[in-house]
Amino acid sequence: MGFEFSVITDSIPALLAGAKLTWIITLLGIFGGMIFGILAGLGRLAGSEYLGETPHNRLSKGVATFIRYLSGGYVETIRGTPIIVQAMFIYFAFPMLVKALTDIERFRIEALTAAVITIVINAGAYIAEIVRGSVMSVNKGQIEAGLSLGISRFQLIAHIIGPIAFRRMIPPLGNQFIISLKDTSLFIVIGVGELTRQGQEIMASNFRALEIWLTVAIMYLIMTTVLAMSLRTIERKMKIF
Amino acid sequence: MAHIIEMQDVCKSFGHTQVLHNIDFAIEEGEVVVIIGPSGSGKSTLIRCINCLEMISSGTLIVDSIRIPEERKRIREIRLEVGMVFQQFNLFPHLTALENVAFGPLKSRGMKKKEAVDIAADLLAKVGLSTFQDKLPGQLSGGQQQRVAIARALAVNPKVMLFDEPTSALDPEMIGEVLDVMKSIAHQSGMTMAVVTHEMGFASQVGDRLIFMDDGRIVEEGKPSEVMKNPRSERLRDFLGHVKHH
Repeated sequence: MGFEFSVITDSIPALLAGAKLTWIITLLGIFGGMIFGILAGLGRLAGSEYLGETPHNRLSKGVATFIRYLSGGYVETIRGTPIIVQAMFIYFAFPMLVKALTDIERFRIEALTAAVITIVINAGAYIAEIVRGSVMSVNKGQIEAGLSLGISRFQLIAHIIGPIAFRRMIPPLGNQFIISLKDTSLFIVIGVGELTRQGQEIMASNFRALEIWLTVAIMYLIMTTVLAMSLRTIERKMKIF
Repeated sequence: MAHIIEMQDVCKSFGHTQVLHNIDFAIEEGEVVVIIGPSGSGKSTLIRCINCLEMISSGTLIVDSIRIPEERKRIREIRLEVGMVFQQFNLFPHLTALENVAFGPLKSRGMKKKEAVDIAADLLAKVGLSTFQDKLPGQLSGGQQQRVAIARALAVNPKVMLFDEPTSALDPEMIGEVLDVMKSIAHQSGMTMAVVTHEMGFASQVGDRLIFMDDGRIVEEGKPSEVMKNPRSERLRDFLGHVKHH
């Protein structure tokens, strides 16, 4: 039983189908994760000077505190539990919760949907901390310069704090995107036919572990390289400041 | 003449530290007031209170007939009428010189892009930086950055300009170019200005009034040449002995 190249060529169509699914879950997941992350990251800074809030002109104290606790609770809950448990919870436990609480009898979440949701909320929690750190690193002087021109809080965040902070988010975002892509391999447990699952199934039928897992590994490597290179390109375009 | 800025019995504290003690002072339209004093004397805090970057702890502030703290909802209106130039320039690093200057007219005055860019280009020409309009702040010298920052503040068309130690972070050979721009603003447009500085030459040439602060209080004020020639207090004599004359 030597190294058989034909095993690889035979398995490629199925593995490519899996890789495509991996790619879809990742892209949808990090897109949603960015939205969650930006909202929760800014939410954790609600009412603070980092968003140009000054003591006399801030969100009502109660509202700001509520937003901070809500965002903080989300981040800590997700960071504090394994992603595989989160996937199981969303796929298996959540529908039961819905059934227990409502009259809906046949509530189901598709495995693929559950996978995307898991990446969204999981990546969102980590991205929230990336957003928070980058926003806190924006020079206070630039925030004051913006305020002194008489612009609104929203304009300040959208046109000054946002672009300056985004530049600093790119390296840690690269990390998180790659981690999320690799995390999709865990969805083997909820039966999503992504790359790892495809590899596992082929392996179970022909027992060619070496050829299959080597091919799977290379496919992951290609996908993470594409992610890393796209972020490097964006970073280089913004390098000037 | 009408007072465009007035402070009545203003105090300001940071936590338990009181930095301004019962300040009463006013600036008339078109007046250039120069504020000097040792570091920690509260002069920066004083002018930062005027555009509400710091909120007064007690007393009343009136800017262009808007009263603080009663009308604190109108702080943005105050900021539209009061431009500010900072010690560290604080240009927006991701925008070109032209975009920095056009930012205010575009976003806070809500002008059309073409109009805002025209105003910005005019102002950059006034501060002698027409050929630098597409440069990013990181590509400009300190003096050039500060001149862009002055143009940026002017672009919103304020009634008052505040300068918070505008030349303190500059290399000596660049101080002159920034002071020249400030002089021309004072002389040509008759702008109301409050300037915190250590440049005594500028104070005597351009200032209508000199204010000496120490320990959060206004200790002396008057015509710059007179105050400098005949300081009444020991503390001002001491201070004048320490600052360089340009």
